[in-house]
Amino acid sequence: MIEETLQEVRFFEFLTEEEREEFAEVSEFVSFGPGENIIEEGAEQESLFVLASGTVEVRKGLPGGRSRLLAEIDTSHGRTVVGERGLLGESGASATVRAVGEVEAIRIPRETFRRMVAEGRPAAFKLSYRIARTLARRLTRLDEEVVEAIRELESRGETDMEAFRDRLITDWSV
Amino acid sequence: MRETPDLKDVPIFEHLDDDERAELEELLEPVSFKAGQRIFEEGAPEERLFVITSGTVEVYKGLAPGRRQLLARIEAPTVIGEMGLLTEPRATASVEALTRVEAHGVGRDRLLEMLDADSPAACKLIYEIGRTLAERMAATNETVAEVISRLENTNARGSEDIDVFRDQLVEDWSF
Repeated sequence: MIEETLQEVRFFEFLTEEEREEFAEVSEFVSFGPGENIIEEGAEQESLFVLASGTVEVRKGLPGGRSRLLAEIDTSHGRTVVGERGLLGESGASATVRAVGEVEAIRIPRETFRRMVAEGRPAAFKLSYRIARTLARRLTRLDEEVVEAIRELESRGETDMEAFRDRLITDWSV
Repeated sequence: MRETPDLKDVPIFEHLDDDERAELEELLEPVSFKAGQRIFEEGAPEERLFVITSGTVEVYKGLAPGRRQLLARIEAPTVIGEMGLLTEPRATASVEALTRVEAHGVGRDRLLEMLDADSPAACKLIYEIGRTLAERMAATNETVAEVISRLENTNARGSEDIDVFRDQLVEDWSF
C-alpha cells in the first residue's frame, strides 16, 4: 500500500522498485486532524512527509504571534513531498505546515534515513541526490528572484538597500 | 612536485573513508589562480568542481549592466562549482580569486558518471553537498521572508504585482 503510494509520487520515480520497497518498509502512514501541525516552524524537522490526501497550508510566523499564509497545497492536484530539507539539514523548519482538513501522509523518519546512509544503502544515496538537486534548482531560482526583488525595491526608492543587501551575504554556494 | 590536497581538511570530504578519498584524489587536477582572476563567469559554462585548498574567492551577481552585488567571500578550504554539478552546467554567479588560489579541479561529467555507477565516493560527496545546500536553504528562507515583507511594506503599485511575485518566491521554497 505504501509502496503503491510512493510509486505515484514524482519525487520517488527515479528509484527502482526494490529501492522503493526499501523505503516503504521503513515508512508509516500517519494522519492529521484539522488544524494539526505536520511541520512546526522553528522545531526540528524530523521527517519527510509524502502528502497522500487532504489539503495543508503553509504559514510563516510574524512578530506579535500572528502568522502569514504563504501557500495552500491541495494533494488532489498531485501528491507532494514536504520536509525533505530536514532529512539532510540540521536547522529547524522555516515555516509551519498545517492540516486544513483530514490529511493522510507517509512519513519517512530522518533517523531511519540517516541509518540507511550510514549503512551505505544506494536507495538512501539516490534520495539524497534527488533532494540535493531539488534544493539546488530551487536555490538557483530563489537567488534570481531575490536579486530581482532588490532591483524592484531600489526602483521604488528604498534608501537603505545597501545595508539590506549586505545582510544577504550568506553562506553562498556556486 | 605537485602536492596532493589534503581532502580531509575540506568539510565535505571529511566523512569519506581513506579509500573513497583516494579514489577522488586520483581524479583531481591541481590548478592555481592569480589574484583577480575569474574562475567562473555568470552565465558561462560551469563544468568543473573545484576544491579550494588555499586562498579566498569572491562571488558576485550582476544587478544591472555595470553594477554587481558581492554575495559572498569564501575562504579555503571550500568547494565551488557544486551547483553546476547538480543543475545546469552554467554559472549563476561569477567567482573571482581575491588572493592567489590553489585548487584542484574535477570534471562534472566524470563525477556524474561515477554517480550513475553508484560509486560510494561520489554518492557520499553528493550527500555532503546536499547537507550544505539544506543549511543554505534555511538561510535563504529567512532572506526571502524579509524580501517579501519589504515588498509588502513598499507596495505602492497595487497588490497584484506583489501577489504574483510572492507566489513565485514561495513556490521555490523548501521549508
